[in-house]
Amino acid sequence: MKKKLVSLMLATVLAVSCFAGCGKAESGETAEAATEETTEETAEESVGAKITVDESATDNVAVEGDYSDADLTVFIFAQDHEKAVYQSLIDKFTETTGAKVTFEVTTSDEYGQKILAYKAAGDMPDIFYVGPEAVASNVDDGYILPLDDYVSEETVADLWPAITTAYRYDGKEAGTGSLYCLPKDLSTFAFAYNKTMFDEAGVAYPDPANPYTWEEFVEVCQSLTKDKDGDGEIDQWGCANALQWALDAFIYTNGGHFLNDDYTEVVIDGQKEFIDAFQYFADLTCKYGVTPTVEQDTALGGYQRWLDGQIGFYACGTWDVGAFMDKNTFPYEWGLCAWPVGSTGVSMTRNGSVGFAVSADTEYPDAAAALITLFSTDLEGQRVLSGETTGASLQVPNTMSYAKGDFKDRIADGTIPYGENAEVIFNYLEGTDKYKGIFVETTYTYNADWWNEFLSGGYEYVLNGEMTAAEYCAQVQPAMQAALDSANEMKAAASGQ
Amino acid sequence: MNSKKGKKTKTKMSIMAKREEKWGLLFVAAPAVGFLLFMLYPIIFAFLTSLTTWNGAKGFQGMLDRFCGFDNYIKLFTDAKFWQTLLTTTIYLLGIPIGMIIGLLCAMGMNRKIPGVRVLRTMYYIPVISSLVSVSILWAWVYNYDYGLLNTIIKTLTGLHGPNWLGDEALIKVSMIIFMVWKGLGTSIILYLAGLQNIPRSYYEAAMVDGANGWQKFRNITLPLLSPVTFYILVTTLIGGFQVFVEVQVMTPNGNGGIGYSAATIVFYLYQKAFESFQLGYASAIAVILAIIIFVITLFNFAGQKKWVKTID
Repeated sequence: MKKKLVSLMLATVLAVSCFAGCGKAESGETAEAATEETTEETAEESVGAKITVDESATDNVAVEGDYSDADLTVFIFAQDHEKAVYQSLIDKFTETTGAKVTFEVTTSDEYGQKILAYKAAGDMPDIFYVGPEAVASNVDDGYILPLDDYVSEETVADLWPAITTAYRYDGKEAGTGSLYCLPKDLSTFAFAYNKTMFDEAGVAYPDPANPYTWEEFVEVCQSLTKDKDGDGEIDQWGCANALQWALDAFIYTNGGHFLNDDYTEVVIDGQKEFIDAFQYFADLTCKYGVTPTVEQDTALGGYQRWLDGQIGFYACGTWDVGAFMDKNTFPYEWGLCAWPVGSTGVSMTRNGSVGFAVSADTEYPDAAAALITLFSTDLEGQRVLSGETTGASLQVPNTMSYAKGDFKDRIADGTIPYGENAEVIFNYLEGTDKYKGIFVETTYTYNADWWNEFLSGGYEYVLNGEMTAAEYCAQVQPAMQAALDSANEMKAAASGQ
Repeated sequence: MNSKKGKKTKTKMSIMAKREEKWGLLFVAAPAVGFLLFMLYPIIFAFLTSLTTWNGAKGFQGMLDRFCGFDNYIKLFTDAKFWQTLLTTTIYLLGIPIGMIIGLLCAMGMNRKIPGVRVLRTMYYIPVISSLVSVSILWAWVYNYDYGLLNTIIKTLTGLHGPNWLGDEALIKVSMIIFMVWKGLGTSIILYLAGLQNIPRSYYEAAMVDGANGWQKFRNITLPLLSPVTFYILVTTLIGGFQVFVEVQVMTPNGNGGIGYSAATIVFYLYQKAFESFQLGYASAIAVILAIIIFVITLFNFAGQKKWVKTID
């Protein structure tokens, strides 16, 4: 009897251990997804405001329709405070329609990898994120549903124009044709300044109506960069810029660009506007010393330093507002301002967006469309997400009528806590004579490999002064071009089907 | 009569023997199925994928649509990043002899009945069984330029600021090697300890009688008789060393592979190509090439085994 028991146990162990045979490879925890927003939110992943959503915040939310037979899966990436808000909206949805919703959230780093796994398994969630750069491939591969039948024309007309262009596709060209996504948001990467630090240093606040020129910006930064505790080392800096996200603001305002108009050539080598802008960006660190050094940046990133009150100017995305207003996370007064302007005289920055898509294989298209409408265009839903009912703003509303109307008023009267000069955000989203927000060039290419080549070629040497921007551009362009060529080949092969 | 003609006759098995054979096959079936499902099938799948430009979409049909023959392999030969990461991976392999030497020295030191030797053995083995991701995060902080343990110690002792362990192109490789040696030391020590304890004392006694000194005993008895252990460690660490990935992903900022891609290994490059660029076909080609490299090197090792691996008999 004992022998049999032992043999049975051995057999079980053997059977189970064959499944452990996958052996050494411990899969890496983080993967970087390809979409715009994900790269920006990665930086701010580690610290987010802990916002709890009061139940009353979704009181006015109601969705018509009986979807009690629907069983939906929603899969998105979100920071903790965003997740809480979406959960409250989903709870209201299930309450008023009777549908069953499984809500799955992951980090923006892992999103691309997990969606890939879903695709390989052939088991897509009913609702998931698709960024503007991924619309064409998702439609071509048959993964997402056109939404024209589920959203009214007047709703679409009320969306920011940049959004509708981003998510339209007619099978050949982006920007026209059926609408495939409803936007989660249209975000912009504005510039913020630490008012408390300005007060202490006795420096005048930036005026949003008159963005700084590059010379003025350096001067202001220099007046803020100092050794506060007298130990001989600088511990307060004018600004801190993460190249991956902030370089664009400097390049575009100077009239520069990475690629040519039809996205077939990398044109940075020898391009004066680009090189001047990149050199100025690097000079802030190595020549004027108004940012932490490259080494200091690896020790503690700019975002953490900003939260700690060490930085005068820092980037502020529309998704950051809630966190920056939370006194536990950022205990300083702050306001919004323009990125400094280069030779064009127009302050430019990157806009971003990600959209809710409905799986082409969903069994409940009506319910799914109703849910994403709640997230995206429903007025009451927007009141929740924009911070009117929760007191923490996650985004600017997607519908212009609400954004330019009540939303602005609620900021003005303080219902929605916001940094000063909220009009900067609108300026970048709509574009004015002094402000413009654009989607970065990786949005329009088949993949971002050419941009990754720029990032992995050793740009840090330009930042610490060992190399000039011109030399770096000359050195890295061939690899970038090869990657771009490869991407265009794949694009041609893919659309050839 | 039949056996003399060389024909093999089937021996009749008793019922008991047949039952045993059935059970035997059943036991073998479990790991065999595991091997087929989780090793052979993925290997074949990877090879087939490497002949396409598959991006993960549309399953098998998607793969067939994007068939491209050996294009991926041709592209690999002119891919600067592939060669760069291959070189970096090879540099990391330097940690193997370093680890073996230190491991052997530690094992010899611990091969005595000194008090607390069990505690020591446990301490050395804990890094081995620790989660690779966790200790990588830990060491990323140890190496931190301003706040890390190493630079804090250096600053306290000498007043100078320590180097940029993870931010300098050359130094980051050294830092990675130090980490990898630290992580794998326990295995070498345990294995060498076992090997040392297997050497019969009579050999050492005979050598002492012949007047051999310590170094001669080491060179002529210890080392040769430890060669099977050395062989095992060499083969397994080489196979593992080519597949280094987690350390690079965790310890470089944002998983960027280090300044100028200086810390990136082949598997790291493969991972980025597969899961960030969604070029699964190209990544599979890298994987196949890597498999061939490891296979050839292992074959080479086994062939060399006859020359330098000595066993007690």
